Amino acid sequence: MSYLELAGLQKRFGNATAVDDVSLSVAKGEAVALLGPSGCGKTTTLRMLAGLIEPDRGTIRIDGAEITRLPAHRRNMGYVFQSYALFPHLSVARNVAFGLEERGRPKAEIARQVEEALALVRLSGLDARRPRELSGGQQQRVALARALVIHPSVLLLDESLSNLDAKLRDAMRHEIRSIQRALGITTLFVTHDQVEALTMCDRIAVMHRGRIAQIGAPEEIYEKPATRFVAEFVGRANALPAERGPDGQVRLWNETLALAAPADGSFDVFVRPQRMRIVPVSEPAGPDTARVSGRVLRSVFVGDHVEVLIEGAGGQLTVEMPSGSPAPAEGSEVAVVWPATESRVFAREAP
Amino acid sequence: MSATRRLPWLLLPAGLFVLGIYAWPTLLLLRNAFNEVGPTGAMVEAMSLKTATETFADGFTFELTWNSLWLSATATTIALALSYPLSLFLFRTTSRWRGILAVIAILPMLISGVVRVFGWLAILGDRGLVNGLLQSLGLISAPLKLVFNWTGVTIGLAESIMPYMILALLAGFGQLDRTLEEASRSLGASPARTFLRVTLPLSLPAIVLAAGLGFVLSMSAYITPKLLGGGRVFVLATEIFEQATTNTNWPVAAVLALYTLALLLVLLALSNLLARRLRR
Repeated sequence: MSYLELAGLQKRFGNATAVDDVSLSVAKGEAVALLGPSGCGKTTTLRMLAGLIEPDRGTIRIDGAEITRLPAHRRNMGYVFQSYALFPHLSVARNVAFGLEERGRPKAEIARQVEEALALVRLSGLDARRPRELSGGQQQRVALARALVIHPSVLLLDESLSNLDAKLRDAMRHEIRSIQRALGITTLFVTHDQVEALTMCDRIAVMHRGRIAQIGAPEEIYEKPATRFVAEFVGRANALPAERGPDGQVRLWNETLALAAPADGSFDVFVRPQRMRIVPVSEPAGPDTARVSGRVLRSVFVGDHVEVLIEGAGGQLTVEMPSGSPAPAEGSEVAVVWPATESRVFAREAP
Repeated sequence: MSATRRLPWLLLPAGLFVLGIYAWPTLLLLRNAFNEVGPTGAMVEAMSLKTATETFADGFTFELTWNSLWLSATATTIALALSYPLSLFLFRTTSRWRGILAVIAILPMLISGVVRVFGWLAILGDRGLVNGLLQSLGLISAPLKLVFNWTGVTIGLAESIMPYMILALLAGFGQLDRTLEEASRSLGASPARTFLRVTLPLSLPAIVLAAGLGFVLSMSAYITPKLLGGGRVFVLATEIFEQATTNTNWPVAAVLALYTLALLLVLLALSNLLARRLRR
């Protein structure tokens, strides 16, 4: 049974439709990411959930009760803002206590809960500090504690890690995920960072132009992108132009491939760079293997892998090789192979 | 050559200007304050505190001080009550009319004080807009006394300091951030509670700054108390003018002027201190 239910949500700003018919069911305790580029409507969706903006159409239900028109302060949503939005005139403890004070809880209980919340985010002892005396990571934790301490119906995170540096972001990612799991709190996570979405959530809703393009488990989104946009946005992919020849065979870079593909027209074959292998030209293609040939333009060492750029009859493609293996010499003629099942075919988008 | 060492040169033009037209006359004023007035009414060169002691022993000086402080406090309070919501609106609005609205709000600043006073006479006078309207509605039989008294001066003064206070408020609202109010609401605070717990505390430094400015401007205002007071409103500024021109009693005028200046400096220092403390 779903706990949080968005049905047909729509929001227009002037002539622009920010969110267009978004429906989503989230189970209790589940973490769902709204992933998409800026302007795809993900933050608007989150703000409608929090009651900070009103949807033009559609309904929001929590635990069966409709809250679509309920004012923000009566929704009990824990919102962690991208800028953290800590109150600069209040101490860390008073920031965290804010929601409990507004709920009129007894002083002793507030003190105890604030202490627990600060311990949960590993900030014990910093309660007397002002927000600006904290580092970015610490501010982020205070914002999280402040949202969690009210025992929200849903935790809403809006690009919450984007202001942190890369190392800290990694650490916070795991920390937030483990807190979310330990508390079993239903979470909606808005992000444009696919790594964040892939690692922190049970399911991902990829948003594109105000709609949900695909929703599913991280593996499903990554391995079986439903649309061309999802394939391009999540992970890296080579988009190789192909068409069906007069003989009915799929032709790619002047080579014939055994692929399931549309009956006619031009289309692109998507293949993840790390699923491709570089082999000597002399090596023949095995069964169920796609194979093209080309010339090595250059190899770039990226640390944990090497990116090899290859140019062939139909353009360029990138192959990701594990670092440590010998990279082919620049200018050499090579063949690129991949299991045919790793290919995803999408219609060519009109330019 | 470091930037900090070069900086004072940038202050030179303004420094010379202030020195010439402000510091030097003030020093002359200071010198006059130690002079005396002879039996003929002419100024006698002297180096005594006689004029100062006589002025401060006079009960009228105390009354003037109280009048000035009270007038400034009421005018500032009224102006603040009107400017604060207006400034908050201007600060927040995303309307494309925002720039025009802001200009309209501070437009009175660009109009001469004398012209503004005559405007108020037309509105508040015995046959003015307000009395005319109230009488035609049958709410009053005799015109209300709205000018040539404290009421008129307070209204006129409040209006004249509003533009400055609006500018000070807008400049001081820096810490105010819509997201903080959204955070407050998401944490369960109603719009009214959000105003009390977030908006108001964060705009307090701006309020103190604007109030300090309004108060200082009211204390030194001359035209409005003089013209709208109709000779019945006595404050420090009008008295200084009387003494300097009508009575040509320069030593007393100098003492009162320096006294007013000292009062203003103390008030300015206090409001700055308060604003700084609040900002922390």
